[in-house]
Amino acid sequence: MKTEYATGYIRFHEERCTGCAECLKVCPTRAIRIRNRTSIRLVNLCIGCGACIRACAAGAISAATRPPQQIGNGHVAIALVSPVLYAQFPKAMPKDVLLGLRHMGFRHTIDMSIFLEMFQFAAAEFIRRNREIREAPWPLISPVCPAVVRLIAFQFPALLAHVLPVLRPVALMAREVKERIIPSYEAQGRQVVLYYLNPCPTMEQERLGPEGAPLKHAEVSIGINDLYPDLNQRIDAILSDVPAFSETHFEYETCASANAALVAMSGGEIASMRIEKSMAVHGLRDTIAYLQKIEMGLFPEVEYFEFRTCREGCLGGVLSAVDKYLARSNVQRMLHRNGLSRRVPGNTIRHLYDKGRFKPDKSPLTLTRFFGDRKPALSLEQMVYIEKILDTVAGWGCGACGAPDCPTFAEDVVRGEAELSGCQWLRPSQRHQPATPSEPGQGSPESGQ
Amino acid sequence: MASLKKIYFIKARDFVHAGEASIHVQNLLKSMHWDPGLIRRIAICSYEGEMNVVIHGGDGELNLSIENDRLTIEIIDEGPGIQDISLAMQPGYSTASDEAREMGFGAGMGLPNMQKNADEIQIESEPGIRTRASMTFFIESPEGTP
Repeated sequence: MKTEYATGYIRFHEERCTGCAECLKVCPTRAIRIRNRTSIRLVNLCIGCGACIRACAAGAISAATRPPQQIGNGHVAIALVSPVLYAQFPKAMPKDVLLGLRHMGFRHTIDMSIFLEMFQFAAAEFIRRNREIREAPWPLISPVCPAVVRLIAFQFPALLAHVLPVLRPVALMAREVKERIIPSYEAQGRQVVLYYLNPCPTMEQERLGPEGAPLKHAEVSIGINDLYPDLNQRIDAILSDVPAFSETHFEYETCASANAALVAMSGGEIASMRIEKSMAVHGLRDTIAYLQKIEMGLFPEVEYFEFRTCREGCLGGVLSAVDKYLARSNVQRMLHRNGLSRRVPGNTIRHLYDKGRFKPDKSPLTLTRFFGDRKPALSLEQMVYIEKILDTVAGWGCGACGAPDCPTFAEDVVRGEAELSGCQWLRPSQRHQPATPSEPGQGSPESGQ
Repeated sequence: MASLKKIYFIKARDFVHAGEASIHVQNLLKSMHWDPGLIRRIAICSYEGEMNVVIHGGDGELNLSIENDRLTIEIIDEGPGIQDISLAMQPGYSTASDEAREMGFGAGMGLPNMQKNADEIQIESEPGIRTRASMTFFIESPEGTP
């Protein structure tokens, strides 16, 4: 029997599942169904927010990232470091963390500071110019959190035009590495592996070159939590010894400013952007609530929204190792110690901006196509049928049928993906008379969510 | 020809749950893949109407109807009513309470916004008894897709 399978962002370990159904209710896109009591199935609506991983006390759900193995063995290992990593180690300076990574086998450790700084500058530049030319509608929405962008593509397609069209910091960082570091190794015929050290689930399929062509070098995502135990030991060893200062090849292989760690905190992206009319919202629930409000025309006076689906921002990423509040306290310490110095002159970034170096690699429209086909449109007749079913079920949202709530169950029935008899609480008269789609539905105020 | 009717209850001064009926209407239209621009116009109207009840009205209800070539949102409440409808239609005119204004509502754009986004709008009010606002949107096909 197959007891483990991965689908997109999530890996499910069937033998550990207790059937508690906690994951059902927390999924924002209602992508989870439970079949046969202890087996979850993901309909293909997963946006990789990690809410189910957090909710699963049995450890049956994890990210589809790989545990670190044989780093640097037979290949050149390049680490793309999320600043969340620094916040995991209260006693270590970022340079110690990067050195620890090198001791683990990474040849290059790429810090995100410069790329975050450039992104923030470019974002502010776009907003400033947008005041004059109104190229995009207000409020603009930060593209930094990938789960937010996928949530918008899936649930709020009308807001895709609001997503700031500036290349994300991670993409800026990866492009720089691909242009400046990888070619020289490939010229020597050496295999390169890019490791993304992430606080959140990431899907391997996204790592394709232009036009979906496979890349020459390999790309791997590692959860910070998987990296933590080994790295922690190495950092302890470094701290107890006088650290041998390792030579660096590129200016972005060190971290001198606390700005990057600040960006990992909720509100940190806008904090150093100098955009007056901006707002930061974090947590899945509030993110959805505010997206709904923006869609209903609220906040036309706000210029920029920073959204993070994780509480406390990326520091609360589901794959981080230490608790978000401890991590926050560590960032505060970094702020006191290192300050917020900038390294790249504004003129340099503005020059790159005018050359189009910050144009996003994919337009929002590609995301519409990506999610648009996943849930075929329901007809008005089917909507009426759903209302009819909602009149016959108890409406308690018990989840015994395996769907997260009654409206989703009714929709599954209408789509032919579930049987009406799957409901344990059909009103007695309905138990042997399935509702038919022929009769028009009656209004029922309780049938909403 | 199928027709869909739904009734949502709106509670006066309940700012915590304000907007939920509109969100529900919106999700319903999204699952039919209606044009996002049309959904947004409907959502804005329904939200403004719902908020009017929350801010000014007594309790009320939102009636959604999708029939033939049109979607109608009707908002009825047992509130103080509107004394002068043409005055209330002017941008910036507002009689909202300080409580509502402190929460960021009551800028006097509700009715003008509804008028701007609906294909047809009808407002009737008997001051002290009830107010009824009905907004109609024409759709190209019953599925709402062009």
